[in-house]
Formats: sequence, C-alpha cells, structure tokens
Amino acid sequence: MKAESELMTNKASKPTVEVDSVSIRFMLPQDGGSRPPEKKGIFARFKKPPKREFWALQDVSLDVQKGEILGIIGGNGAGKSTLLKLIAGIFPPTTGGVKTCGTVAPLLELGAAFNPELTGLENIYLTGSIYRIPRKIIRENIDRIIDFSGLEQFTRVPVKNYSSGMFMRLAFSMVIFFKPEIVLIDEVFSVGDESFQQKSFEKILSFRKRGASIILVTHDANLITRICDRVLVLSDGKLSFLGGAEEAVRHYRQLIQSGEGLDRRRQEVKPKPDSSRWGSKEVEILSVDFVDEKGQTKKDFLSGDYFEARIRFRSSLKNQAPVFGVAVSTIYKLFIYGPNTLEAEFPDKVPSSGVVRFVIPQLPLMEGDYLFSAAAYDETLSKAYDHHEQMYHFRILKDQKKEFGSVRIRSLWKLEHE
Amino acid sequence: MKNPWKEITSFRELLGNLIVAELKLRYKESILGFLWTILNPMFFLLVLALVFSQIIKFQMENYTIFLFAGMASYLMIQQTVLIATGSIVNNQGLIKKVSVPKIIFPLANVLARFVDHIALILILFLFLAYFRIDFTWSLISLIPLILFHFLFSLGFSLLSSVIYIKVRDVQHILSIGFQAFFYLSPIIYPTEILPQGLQKIFLFNPFYYFIQSFRYPIYYNKFPPLIIWGVTFFLAVVFLGLGLWVFYKKEENFVFQLS
Repeated sequence: MKAESELMTNKASKPTVEVDSVSIRFMLPQDGGSRPPEKKGIFARFKKPPKREFWALQDVSLDVQKGEILGIIGGNGAGKSTLLKLIAGIFPPTTGGVKTCGTVAPLLELGAAFNPELTGLENIYLTGSIYRIPRKIIRENIDRIIDFSGLEQFTRVPVKNYSSGMFMRLAFSMVIFFKPEIVLIDEVFSVGDESFQQKSFEKILSFRKRGASIILVTHDANLITRICDRVLVLSDGKLSFLGGAEEAVRHYRQLIQSGEGLDRRRQEVKPKPDSSRWGSKEVEILSVDFVDEKGQTKKDFLSGDYFEARIRFRSSLKNQAPVFGVAVSTIYKLFIYGPNTLEAEFPDKVPSSGVVRFVIPQLPLMEGDYLFSAAAYDETLSKAYDHHEQMYHFRILKDQKKEFGSVRIRSLWKLEHE
Repeated sequence: MKNPWKEITSFRELLGNLIVAELKLRYKESILGFLWTILNPMFFLLVLALVFSQIIKFQMENYTIFLFAGMASYLMIQQTVLIATGSIVNNQGLIKKVSVPKIIFPLANVLARFVDHIALILILFLFLAYFRIDFTWSLISLIPLILFHFLFSLGFSLLSSVIYIKVRDVQHILSIGFQAFFYLSPIIYPTEILPQGLQKIFLFNPFYYFIQSFRYPIYYNKFPPLIIWGVTFFLAVVFLGLGLWVFYKKEENFVFQLS
C-alpha cells in the first residue's frame, strides 16, 4: 500500500483518500456467563474464551479530494475513530480497501509516538522517522519547529517531564512543519491552552491551500458547518449521510432525536464483565425503564403511585419461554421482594424480541432510594440467561404522611375498652 | 507476502532511531554505563573459569578461551531472543497509534543487542590476548558466523514475539529452556568428555553447532569444517523463513490482539 501511494502522489485528479466499501470486524471477548462460578479445571485456561463479533464499520465508502475538508460526525461508538484509524493504516479492513496518496499525519492522539524517556529534540527526530520524514528535512526545519512550539528552553529535557500543554505544543509543531498531504484530526483541539490551539488550527487549515486533505472528527456541529466542505454522518458503523455540511448537521440532529445511532455502545459494549451482570445471553435484557400509568419514563414516584418496569428483551430461544424475574431492594441491600413469571400468569412462549411489563398498581414502598434487578432464567431457575443485579434505580419521594419504614404493610389500628 | 527488505529500508531512519534510543536509554543514569554489558558476562566467565579450571580441575589447555568462545555464541542468541520476545508487546503503544511495519520493532531489538555483543566480543578479545590467543586468519570466519547468529536470533525472535502477544508464558518457558540448554550444550565442558551415545544425541542440539562454530576460529585457530557451516547456515535460513512467514501472517491482527 505504501509503495503504491508514493507512485500516485503526483496525479492531480485522483482523490487523496479512497475508502472502498470497507467493513471492520472486531472479535470481542464474550462476557457474562462467568457467574455463577462453574467448576474450572486447570485445563480450562487452555480453552479459548468465546468471542463475539462486533462490526465497527459496515460497508463504508468515501473519497476525499485534494484541498478538501471532510467532517465526520456521529454518536458515541458510531465508528468515527475506527474510520480514522483505518485511513491512518492502523486497522486493516476486514473487507474492502483503503488507498491513500501521500503522507498521512494522524492527529489521533497527540505525541503518540513520543518516547517519554527521550528529550524533546530526540523525539522530534523519532517521530519524524515514523512518518518517514527524511532526517535532512527535519534538520533544516528544526529551528522553526522549536520556535513555533515555544519550547526553546526544554529541548534537552526528557518529554516525561513536560506538562501536558508542552507535550501538545511539541506534537503540533512537528506536524505543522512536516507538511503532510492528509491530516486526520480526532477532536484533539479540546485540550491545552487556547491561543496555541487557535494558532495551530489555523495553520492546519491553511494546509488546504497547498492541496492537503483534512479529515476532521468532531461533535461540534458549529465547527463542522463553519469549515467543512462535505460531512459524513456515521450511525451504527454505517454511512448514514454524505453531503453538504448544513444538510448533514440537520440529518444528524434528526438522528439524535429519533434516538437512533446514539450510544450504540451502551447496548453493545456495556455488558462488561462486572459483578452486576452475568448470564449466557440466549435471552438478553436490552433495557429496563420505569414508567407511570401514562407510559412516561420516570425515576421518581410517590408512595401509592402506579409503577411499571418495562423490560425490553431479545430472545434466541426456540420452543421454550424464559422465566422473567425482578427484585426490589433498598440501597442498603435489604432484599424486599422478588417475584417471577413462573408464579404468575404468563404466556409460555415469547417472541424473539419484546417488552415484559412488570406492574405494581399501587406502590407499597415508602420514601427512599431503591435498587431494581431484572433477570431472565430457564424454567428450572438454575441457568441465568441474563441477570442484571441491582443495575437500576428509582426513588420514592417524601409525602405528607408521618409514617416510617420502607414498606407500607396494610394494617389496622383498633381500640378496645376493658 | 510483503517484502521485508523494502519495508525495512524505507523505514531505516526509524530503525536507526529506535536502536540508538534503546542503547541510550539502557545505559542512561548508570555510572559505569556500557561497561556493565562487558563486566557482567566477564565476571560470569571468570567465575566459571575459576571453578572449572582451579577447583574441579578440568585438564584443558586454555580453558578460559574455550569457555569464552562457547559463551559468546550462547549469550548472543540467548540475550537477544529473551529481550526481543517482548518487542511487539512492549511497543504496543506505538503499534496501536501509528502505522509502521511491525517488523521494525523486533529487528531494532535484535540489532541493538548485536551491537552490544559485537562490542563485547571485540573488547574481550583484547582482554583474552593476555591469556594467549592466536590471531589467525581463521578469525575472519567470525564475520559470516555472527551474521548466521543474527539471522537465527532474528527468526527466533519474530516467532517468539508473535506468540508472546497471546501467551505471556512464553518468556518464562524460554528463559527456563535457555537455562537448560546452557548446561546441556557443550559450553563449560567439551563434548569429548561425554559417553559415545550421548555425544550422538548432542548432535541434535542446534546450540551445539553455533557454539562449535565460534570455537573453531577462536579456540582451535582453524576454519570451521563444512558440516558446521552447513548446519548453522541451514538453521539461520530455516528460522528466519519460519519467523518471517508467521510474523507476516499474523501482523495484521496485532493491533486487535494488543490491549
């Protein structure tokens, strides 16, 4: 790929970056299923942990012309950074192809190539050689690099003793003098002191005048409309829109409002191997929401209110139904109540995806904070499909009554004369 | 398959910088600096020489030189491989953030170690002149022989650095293995003291050939026989080929496996 790119540098009409229907697959360790602890032999270590596919990018195509600024927006986990790393050559595409013409300066992480033990000066040469800038050119520019960074006093100090601002100054100053043909920026402009940021940013934008392409990932819609020629909107790793900046921002806002493409990671990656979630995931609990009788999502209730927990799930079970269960405890981990669908009227088949509604017509709980667990088990209640232990929280607000405790037990007071 | 030569030459400045950085950082902030590289094996050598010539009383002419030749070969491979095994994992910060041919990292490690070892050999030569060492033309054969050591170590390191990404036990296994081979190879003793049957088994030990290859020019003052040339060359080529093949096969996945 590298050799190819050198040959094509001089052809003017060719785009500098070409991404051709690229997909990237990550194999993530399958989490959950590790509790309750199974008997593990010594050989269990040799078994490969189960892996789960995660497509960070799916069939994304784009090209960037000389002198163009392309913006990329999208929610968290939409694949923006993955796309940049792909163009930078750090991630290989699983399918599809990427071509770049010319030096790529990835400002993904500032000073990524710095060796903290080496001095500022040594690091300039080291980083230069990583981007294949001939030593001669660095030597010719070294004074200007140091001058721009304003670190004249510190060139012989190991970088580990730099402040984060100094670190950033050095990193930027280098990129600016290496005159890259392609600059990849991943929201790096939010750190460091502002005047230097401004100075660097303007300098980088000026690169387009001599034909450099800039790809900019950001959340900042204002910045995007101000400087980008075209904008790509990513959603769930897929290209959702590619076109003019104004239109793209409008498209992105709609996407946010519809709730789509936002925080996919919260669902895809959140099942962390933490102690509060386990299970084999044949049935997966996707979300748990608390609502009132109108279906409004809320977290604060009053004693005696209508309460409903909506448990969204996905099931890959055939011909058998999972048992759903919930549990309510106080924040002091006092377990109050734990009903399940085995003891209730509940269909013995469930669709592949749906919502289980757990309703308490009149909340008997009193003022305080409560933790809520939701789980799906097999009929014998011995195998967890998905167990969310005390992962949710709701609150009962104080009312006028002068009663004390956690649970309102239906009771009477009587008086007798003797 | 990628062309390693092209990758390396187009990143030769990076390679140079990494080697210099490694050597510089290794000896920074130690008073004796580079001297330790020489003092360390030299003391080991002297202790062994003392024990086996004075206490156990090996009846051998110039035992110190005999020992030195074997140790020089063994340490060259052992120290290089043990360090370069971590080369991918130790550079993961860089690998995850910039795009460079990954072969640069083990290569830089191996080259830096060889710079040390060649310097060590040269300086020990001077030192050993005192013990009587004949400077004959056969010493020239050390140049290709060191190259074979280098290629063998590089191939070995490419393999072990790939395995180390997923199985960290490799480092421990290698260090035990090398320790065992130190005693199982004729480094501190000549093969001739072994019973006939055992001598044949020793012929399957790759270290045997590398050790003997150094011993011929340094100790026997002769060019090594053809069998030594053949086997060391064969081992170098096979390990390098295998190392490169596995390394390039897995290279694309490094970035996903490191974490």
